Amino acid sequence: MSLTSFEFVIFVGAAVAGYYLIPKRFQWVWLLAFSYIYYAAASLKILFFLLFSTATTYLAGLLMDRIKEKQADREQRIKQKRRVVAAALVLNFGMLAVVKYTNFAIENINALLGSHLSFQTIILPLGISFYTFQSMGYLLDVYWEKVEAERNPFRFALFVSFFPQILQGPIGRFNRLAHQLYESHDFDWGRMERAFILILWGFFKKMVIADNAAGFVDEVFGNYGSYGGAAIVVAVLGYSVQLYGDFSGGMDVVRGIAELFGISLDENFRRPYFAVSITDFWHRWHITLGTWMKDYVFYPLSLSKMMGRFSKAAKKRFGKSIGRTLPICLANIIVFLLVGVWHGADWKFILYGLYNGLIIAFSGLMMQNYRKWKNLCHINEKAPLWKGFQIARTFLLVNISWYFDRAAGVGEAFDMMRITLTSFRLSDFWNGSLMLESVDLVALRFVIVGFGCILLFLVSLLQERGVKIREAITGRHVLIKYAVYLFLIFVLPALGQPPSAGGGFIYAQF
Amino acid sequence: MEKLIAILEDINPDVDYANCTTLIDDGILDSFAILSIVSELHDEFGVYVTPVDITPDNFNSAQALWDMVQRLQG
Repeated sequence: MSLTSFEFVIFVGAAVAGYYLIPKRFQWVWLLAFSYIYYAAASLKILFFLLFSTATTYLAGLLMDRIKEKQADREQRIKQKRRVVAAALVLNFGMLAVVKYTNFAIENINALLGSHLSFQTIILPLGISFYTFQSMGYLLDVYWEKVEAERNPFRFALFVSFFPQILQGPIGRFNRLAHQLYESHDFDWGRMERAFILILWGFFKKMVIADNAAGFVDEVFGNYGSYGGAAIVVAVLGYSVQLYGDFSGGMDVVRGIAELFGISLDENFRRPYFAVSITDFWHRWHITLGTWMKDYVFYPLSLSKMMGRFSKAAKKRFGKSIGRTLPICLANIIVFLLVGVWHGADWKFILYGLYNGLIIAFSGLMMQNYRKWKNLCHINEKAPLWKGFQIARTFLLVNISWYFDRAAGVGEAFDMMRITLTSFRLSDFWNGSLMLESVDLVALRFVIVGFGCILLFLVSLLQERGVKIREAITGRHVLIKYAVYLFLIFVLPALGQPPSAGGGFIYAQF
Repeated sequence: MEKLIAILEDINPDVDYANCTTLIDDGILDSFAILSIVSELHDEFGVYVTPVDITPDNFNSAQALWDMVQRLQG
């Protein structure tokens, strides 16, 4: 059941109506029932994976809490808890690795050893990357005693399976999300209106911007050998718009639906194309994956004994500043390799992660030098021109990374870069060669995507300046308010691609 | 406390550490800076900061950092 399908609208409508009609103490049970119906509707077979993850994490949490209560000796307590957390991590990440990376491993073993191992038919359970990360975050929080383990298995099952977010996030944290799921919520018309605007805006980004951009992007990336550098540049820019519209649009819909139940999910995007550096970009793009990696991999790895020894040796060899930064850079590169692997079983994703990790690590190492240069050149960091330069530079670096993300493979990505550099003709922009015959209504789609981007840019600019758009709309005169609603409602079928043509969400495949 | 301020200024000199109380909330210290501070705190004061200690409450101001150092020393 896709988020853009008519059945899903009916499903959400029924869930919301029932939620406010039944006695409040059963609201969380209602959500649990709808979450499992939603997941099981996709396929009953994949329900096993969700149940396995829920059961093992729940039991491990309970066991760790029991050890905490019963074991008085601190050393023993840590030791016992470590065994439990390690077992649960191996089971859950092991399952994720098997379903996601078995064929990738077979392909590489065959290539390396010349063997002929056959590929396995494995179903990739929907949303497994998201709910595994969410439950493993909970597990580590219990291990570090940041949260108490949830005693009620059904409540815990709701935390893992809450239907709006299970397919593509945001990856929730137990301390911020769980209590909201279990609390009762009153019907609040103002909140419903704000949620409604967010949902419509999400659909606008997905159906009007992303799905209209998809035609050109798919054609050029699929047959890049037939096109020149200009078409490839437009396709890469189109992909940056498509991916942002698709993923952040999906997140707006998901967060809006959660708000209909009075539940506030973590923000996953904060206007990423306004970022002034790649580090800043990752603070604004897929935020919940970045913070997950930071809290559960980057900090623990950087503060591990092994890194401590490395830091000591590096300080002796390279001096204080470089010595303390080198281990952080190494941990950062490992984290981004994992981010790449998380995106999919393909070398292009590993390269995508490595590219981001290396840029951030290099910036970290050069920080002191940058500061000296900035002082020497009298650069005012707050000057709009400098900020504009930083945003443009970051946007360029991000677009280079999209070659890896979207091309069919590593070879294709480099080939497309070569064509971009060697056969780029400015005249292609006005001689009609970008009006691809194989893309339906290509000129109209350019106009629609352009219009959508202008609107998106203006809204983002206002948000960057601190304007709360939804509150501003709902606070206006009733005529203005409803004009905005009607505009969004009518613009979707008029300018947007129908769900059957637009396809599913890109991140729902992870 | 002077030693701590000196460490912070060495890592990022463009901040008013005496008055700023939103070092994390406003994104003034990023994760690289936080880990550099942790490394220097270990060298200077002999304290081991663990991942659990890295919270906005402990890193939002020089005073909060100093309180954490004293707590970990005790």
